[in-house]
Amino acid sequence: MRLLLVEDDSMIGAAAQQGLRQEGHTVDWVRDGKEAELAVTDKVHDLVLLDLGLPRRDGLSLLREWRARGLAVPVVIITARDAVSDRIAGLDAGADDYLVKPFDLDELSARVRAVARRRAGRAESTLRLGELEIDTATKRVQWKGAEVALSAREYALLEALAGRPGAYLTRAQLEERLYGWDEEIASNAVEVHIHGLRRKLDPALIRNVRGLGYTLERPA
Amino acid sequence: MSMRRRLLVWLLSSVLLGGFAAAAVVFYQARQQSTELFDYQLRQLALTLRDRDYSPSQLAEALQGQQDLDFVIQVWAPDGRLLYGTHQHLDIPAPEATGFADVTTRSGRWRVFSTWHRGLTIQVAQHKVAREALALGAALRTLAPFVLALPLMGFLIWRLVGREVRFLETTARAVALRSPESLEPIGGEAVPEEIQPLVDALNDLLGRLGGALAQQRQFIADAAHELRTPLTALRLQLQLAQRAKEPAERERALATLGEGITRATHVVEQLLAMARQDPAAQAMEKKPVDLDAVAREVVEAEAAFAEAMEVELRLDARFGGTVTGDRAALRTVIENLVDNAIRYGRQGAGPGSVVTVRAYRGGDRAILEVEDAGPGIPPEDRTRVFDRFYRGEAAAEGGSGLGLAIVHRIVERHGATVELSEASGGRGLLARIAFPLSPA
Repeated sequence: MRLLLVEDDSMIGAAAQQGLRQEGHTVDWVRDGKEAELAVTDKVHDLVLLDLGLPRRDGLSLLREWRARGLAVPVVIITARDAVSDRIAGLDAGADDYLVKPFDLDELSARVRAVARRRAGRAESTLRLGELEIDTATKRVQWKGAEVALSAREYALLEALAGRPGAYLTRAQLEERLYGWDEEIASNAVEVHIHGLRRKLDPALIRNVRGLGYTLERPA
Repeated sequence: MSMRRRLLVWLLSSVLLGGFAAAAVVFYQARQQSTELFDYQLRQLALTLRDRDYSPSQLAEALQGQQDLDFVIQVWAPDGRLLYGTHQHLDIPAPEATGFADVTTRSGRWRVFSTWHRGLTIQVAQHKVAREALALGAALRTLAPFVLALPLMGFLIWRLVGREVRFLETTARAVALRSPESLEPIGGEAVPEEIQPLVDALNDLLGRLGGALAQQRQFIADAAHELRTPLTALRLQLQLAQRAKEPAERERALATLGEGITRATHVVEQLLAMARQDPAAQAMEKKPVDLDAVAREVVEAEAAFAEAMEVELRLDARFGGTVTGDRAALRTVIENLVDNAIRYGRQGAGPGSVVTVRAYRGGDRAILEVEDAGPGIPPEDRTRVFDRFYRGEAAAEGGSGLGLAIVHRIVERHGATVELSEASGGRGLLARIAFPLSPA
């Protein structure tokens, strides 16, 4: 998933970014409210991790404004404000989850997955599409009952496609899911990873329609 | 001993004492008056008998059957013969002279009055015991109001004292109901004038106590909040180190973790310094402090940090006197200012930026200045940066948000002032502290 991390503390920001990247997420990190405001208008992120005590623009007012403008992007608040009233205010402002600092990296990942799952209308962490089984918690993929080893990018690509089976995603959309702002993208990166997936799974699993993009067939 | 009981004992005993004194006077006077009255009667009787000019036989006739009379009437002949007596058997002798006399015979003590009339002596006598019994009875009757009034007064005093003391009791109960959680002022109902100052003083104390407590609570809440940030970083950094598979990666993660610990330590130290400067916590030491020497010490101690940050640290200490206060606290002030100046100087002006520490005499003040070439603080932020945990937009990484709050607190406690302005070069920050001079 492509995540937007809004955190003003450089140590927390750097560590969270690194940890989430290890989990296979693409993480864009901004340090203040104004930057966060700009970043969400791109609508490229699947989820926003939002600190509340931000310079220049308070996280809570930012969230309220997004919701008022109809921005539906899932938001997980990460903050040191632990009072019940703060949690209520955060959730009522439109947050999907509320995580109090100091938090555990694994818990943060789990909550990110849980919010994504709920948003996709799923109850469990395993995605099943015919012979394909993706465990989003452990990031293990099984094809016809056998485990398949995928690289982090291949996995991210597969998860993006499997999240909306039957829907076409353009190369640009997939690139956005795979790479943060600060990452160099090779011009054929998406093709390379698609090729890897087809080779490891089934050549017919991912369809490419010129002009439309890529799709993962919905099982009959 | 309770106030109510003490008041009661004193008031009641005063009333009793006064009552008894008054009763004694009344009693004595009543007895005196009775005695005078009896003497008057005695005399009147004797004179009446004389004026009636009775012969002894006529007298006997007139007083026939009056043997039960209180008075003994005797008529004596000039030769000392008893011509007539109401009570024959009584042995009162003939008077030696006219007028009043006290006579003691075998039959008891008598009060007598005698007068002359045509050679005869008329003597009227009255039994003294009977007189005194009557006088005592009369006097005792005068005491009745006191006997009735004393218990009534005691009861009234008890009630009155109780009513007045009740204000103290209700005030005491109100104070007892106060706790660190509820320090609202006492009162509301009308309180006597005498107790009002006590209530006012208590309310004043409650107010200040509440303020101090609120400040403490706010501080603890702020501190807890502020500690979460470095702790969060530590936890995440630790997890990254645990996850690292390659030695080089683990090495990097551990190095970041070390930085995180340094920062957390700094925050904790600043929190402790802040807590120590709480006026409610302890009294401040007041000794002459050589400002130049403290400035020099700080510059020496910060030299290594300045070098590491590639900032040039300059000292210009020529105050040459002392200020009154706590040396360690003043050192903390200068340290915090110099530390900030080095960080922001480096951030704003890059390597080679200059930080200057000055101490000099300015009029009747001792001035300490720390100047940097950093980004400075916009005028609208210059008072807010002294608030605890306030961090401006350009706040440096890893600050606790407490450094300037600590400076402000310590400076205040020294009766000094601190102000921030633009540095002389047109950019950067100049922090100036003005101390009152030590009395010579």
